[in-house]
Amino acid sequence: MPMKQRFGIALSVLLVLTTLMAACAPAAPAAAPNTGSTTDTQTTPAAEGPQGILTIGLTTDIAAVEGPYAPERQADNASRPMYDSLVHPEADGTYSPALAESWAVSEDGTTYTFTLRQDVTFHNGETFNADAVVYSWETYRQPEVTYASTWTIADKVEKIDDYTVAIATTEPNALLLAYIAGWAMIPPVAHAEMGKEAFAQSPIGTGPFMFKEWIKGDHLTVVANPNYWNKGYPKLAQIDFRFLTESATRVAAVQTGEIDIAPRLTAEEAATLEGVEGVNVINYPVDRLYYVAFNNMTSGIDTPIMDPKVRQALAYAIDTQTIIDSIFGGKATRGVGFVGVGNLGFDNAEPVPYDVERAKALLTEAGYPDGFSIGVACPGAGYPQINEVCQAIQGYLQEAGITVELELQEANAFWEREAKQELPPLFVDSWSLTIGEAYPRLLGAVGKDGAYANWSDEKIYALLDQIVTTIDIDARAKLYGELQVYMRENPPFVYLYFPQAFEGVATRVQNYQPRGAEQYYLWDVSVTDAQ
Amino acid sequence: MQRYILSSLAQSALVLLGVFVLVFFMVRLTGDPTTVMLAREASPEQRAAFREQMGFDRPLPVQFVDFVAKALVGNFGNSLHYRTPALPLVLERLPASLELAFVGLLMSIVIAVPLGLWGGARPGSWIDLLGRGVGLFGQTVPTFWLALVMIIVFAVRLGWFPVAGRSGWSSVIMPAFALGLPTMGRIVRLTRASVMEIMGEDYVRTARSKGLSARTIFYRHVLRNAAVGLISVIGIQFGYMLGGSVIIESVFAWPGLGRLAIDSISIRDFPLVQAIALFTSVVVIGLNVLTDMAYAFVDPRIRYG
Repeated sequence: MPMKQRFGIALSVLLVLTTLMAACAPAAPAAAPNTGSTTDTQTTPAAEGPQGILTIGLTTDIAAVEGPYAPERQADNASRPMYDSLVHPEADGTYSPALAESWAVSEDGTTYTFTLRQDVTFHNGETFNADAVVYSWETYRQPEVTYASTWTIADKVEKIDDYTVAIATTEPNALLLAYIAGWAMIPPVAHAEMGKEAFAQSPIGTGPFMFKEWIKGDHLTVVANPNYWNKGYPKLAQIDFRFLTESATRVAAVQTGEIDIAPRLTAEEAATLEGVEGVNVINYPVDRLYYVAFNNMTSGIDTPIMDPKVRQALAYAIDTQTIIDSIFGGKATRGVGFVGVGNLGFDNAEPVPYDVERAKALLTEAGYPDGFSIGVACPGAGYPQINEVCQAIQGYLQEAGITVELELQEANAFWEREAKQELPPLFVDSWSLTIGEAYPRLLGAVGKDGAYANWSDEKIYALLDQIVTTIDIDARAKLYGELQVYMRENPPFVYLYFPQAFEGVATRVQNYQPRGAEQYYLWDVSVTDAQ
Repeated sequence: MQRYILSSLAQSALVLLGVFVLVFFMVRLTGDPTTVMLAREASPEQRAAFREQMGFDRPLPVQFVDFVAKALVGNFGNSLHYRTPALPLVLERLPASLELAFVGLLMSIVIAVPLGLWGGARPGSWIDLLGRGVGLFGQTVPTFWLALVMIIVFAVRLGWFPVAGRSGWSSVIMPAFALGLPTMGRIVRLTRASVMEIMGEDYVRTARSKGLSARTIFYRHVLRNAAVGLISVIGIQFGYMLGGSVIIESVFAWPGLGRLAIDSISIRDFPLVQAIALFTSVVVIGLNVLTDMAYAFVDPRIRYG
C-alpha cells in the first residue's frame, strides 16, 4: 500500500477516535449564569417549593460523600446537605432540635436521653427511628472511619423504644452535644443491603438534599428532598459542587457565572473581584489559630525553650501585626491564646506587643544575653502563605539574637513527624475548630496523649480534665479563662493569628452565611433569579 | 522484523517490572497514610487500630508480596480514600485523559507538521519564520501561565469557551491547546530540521536532476523519509501528554488521570498511586511498542533487516 494511503488511513482513524472521545464526554451540570434564568430540575414551576441551582467551586476533589469519611472540610461541606443529626449547631454556639425533638440530661451528666421526631423518613423512604441512631453509631465508630473520633466520644448508644434513645459516656462530657451535632444518620436496612462500598458511592440520609450524581473529579449533584421533615426547606432545587483546585480558575469561573461561590481566595485574588458586575466579595474570620509550638517532650529538652522567660521573649520578638499587614493585607486577627473570638470563655486579652528590646532583656534574664541557635520546622505550602510567615519569623528572631535553622518540610511528612514528636524544638502549625469551644484543639495540641501534643504540662492536663467534665456552661467558661491566663504565663506556644477567609459570591445568592470553620449550611440559601 | 518486535516487547516487560517495584517501595518510604487519613483529633489508640486494620504495620517486604499476589489476578486493592477498587477508578478517568491527549496531539500535528514541512522546504519564507516562532514559543512558554492567560482572554473576556470542566467540544479546546503546545514546538522544529537535511541529500539531488517535479520529489522522497523520525516523536509525545497533564488538568479542572494522580499522592492513597503508576506505565510502554512497530512498518531498512 503506498505511503500516502497509509498516512491517510492513519489520520482518519485518529480523527474518528478523537471525535468519539469528545462525544463521549459527560455533560457538566447546567451552569448558573450571574443574571438571567436558571434551570429548575425539580417539580414545581410556581413560586412555592425549592427553586434554582446553586453551583459551588470546591477547592479540592472530594474522595467521599459519606459524611464520617469526609477527610477534609470541602468533602464535609459537600456531604453535609444530605444528612441530619439529632441536634443542629446554631451560629451562637447553642444547639437546637433537629431529628430529636427534645433531650434530657441525667443528674450525673453521663446520659442524654433523646426523644426523636416521628415524621422523618430517609431519602429512600425508610423510617428514621432509634434503630437508625444505634446502627449509625455502630457503623461509624469503627477504627477505619476517618472521623470515628466524633462517634467514639459516646461509650454507649441504647434504644429505649422506637423513638427514644439514650447516649451515655462513662464520665460527664461537656462536649457530647457538640459532637453529636456532627453525626450523620443513615438507614440501617438500605445500608446493610447495599453494603458499605455501594453506600459510599450513593449515600442516603434524611437531609434537605438527596444524592443525585457524583462524577469523580468533575462534580457532585444533590437535589432537593421533597419529603424533608423541616417544611418550607430547602429553598434550592439543586446544588452542584464542582472541583476547581486552582484558585485562579475559581476567580475566573465566578466572573463568568459558571460557579456562584468561589471559596478560599487570597486577599489579592478577592481584590481583583471588587467591582466586578454580578459578584460580591465576602470575608469572615476563620476559627483557625496559627501558632509557634514548643517541644518539651523530646527535641526541646535541655534547650533554652524550657525556660518560660525564653518563650515569652520569642513572643515579644515576633512582629505578628506586621506579618498580618504585609502578607495578609491586614486581614487577620491577632491570636492571644488557643481560645479565640467567639469561643466559650474568650477573655479578650491584649496581644503581646512587638518589643525587641524587651525580648532581649528577657533572654538576658534567662541567661542568654548573646542569644542562641535553635531549629524551627514549617509545613511547607501546607497552609496559605505559611512559607512566607515562617521566613518572616526566622528574620524577626534573628534580630533578637536567635539564629533559626528553618526547615520547610513537605506538609504530610511534617504532620506525621509532629504526631511522633520528631520535629525540632520549635515548629509552626495551625488548628481549626468546628464547635464553639476550644477544647478539641487544646486536647489535640497540648492535652495528655494529645495526637499532636509536643508539650507536657500537668496543670494544663488538670484544667482540661475539669473543663470536659464541667457541664455547667458558666463554670466551664471560667475554667477556660483560668487556662488562658496560665498559658500566657507559662506559654507552650507563641500565638500568631486567626486568618480571614475570602470568597467570591454571585449577587444572585441569598442568605449564604459560612461559619468560622468554613462550614456551609445550605438548607436556607436561595437564588434570586429562580423561576 | 519479528526479532525486532520481540526484543521490544521483552525490554518493555523488564521496564514495567522495574516501575512496579520502584513505585511500590518509594511511595511507602514517605511514611504510612494514617496521619493524613484520620481526623487530626483522632487519638493515638485510634491511629494504632487504623494502622493495624490497614496492614500498614507489617514489614514492607510482606506488604509487597501480598500486593504482587493480588495484582497477578488483577486486584490492586481498594483505594484508601474512595474505598472502592483502585483499578476501576483509574479506568473511569482514562477517557477524559485520552480525549485531552488525542485532541492536543491532533492540534499539534495539524499545526506543526505543515509549518515544519513548508519551513524546511522554503527556509527564510514568512511561513518558515512563523513556524520557527511557534517552535520557540511552544518550547519556552510556561504552560501554567499560558493556561491562565487563555482562561482570562478566551473565557472571561471573550466568553468563547467555558473556564473549566469537561462538557463537550468547546471545553476541550483550551486545555488541549495548552497541553499540545510544547509538543507542537518540538514537532515543528524536528520536521523542519529533517526536511532541510533530506533536501540536501544526494538522492534528492539525483531525483531533481532526473527531471522529477518538485511536488513529486517532496511527497515521494522527502516526506516519506521525514515521516520516519516524526512517527517516533509523535508516539513518545502522546505518552508524555497522557502522563504529564497534571498542571493542565488542575488549571482547567479536567477530570483525568493527572489530577487523580496528584490527589492520591498527596493523601498517600497507596493502592490508587500504584494502580495509576502501573496503568500509565503499561499505556506508555505499549505506545512505545506500537511506535516501534509503526517505525518498522514505515522504514523498510528495519522491516527487511
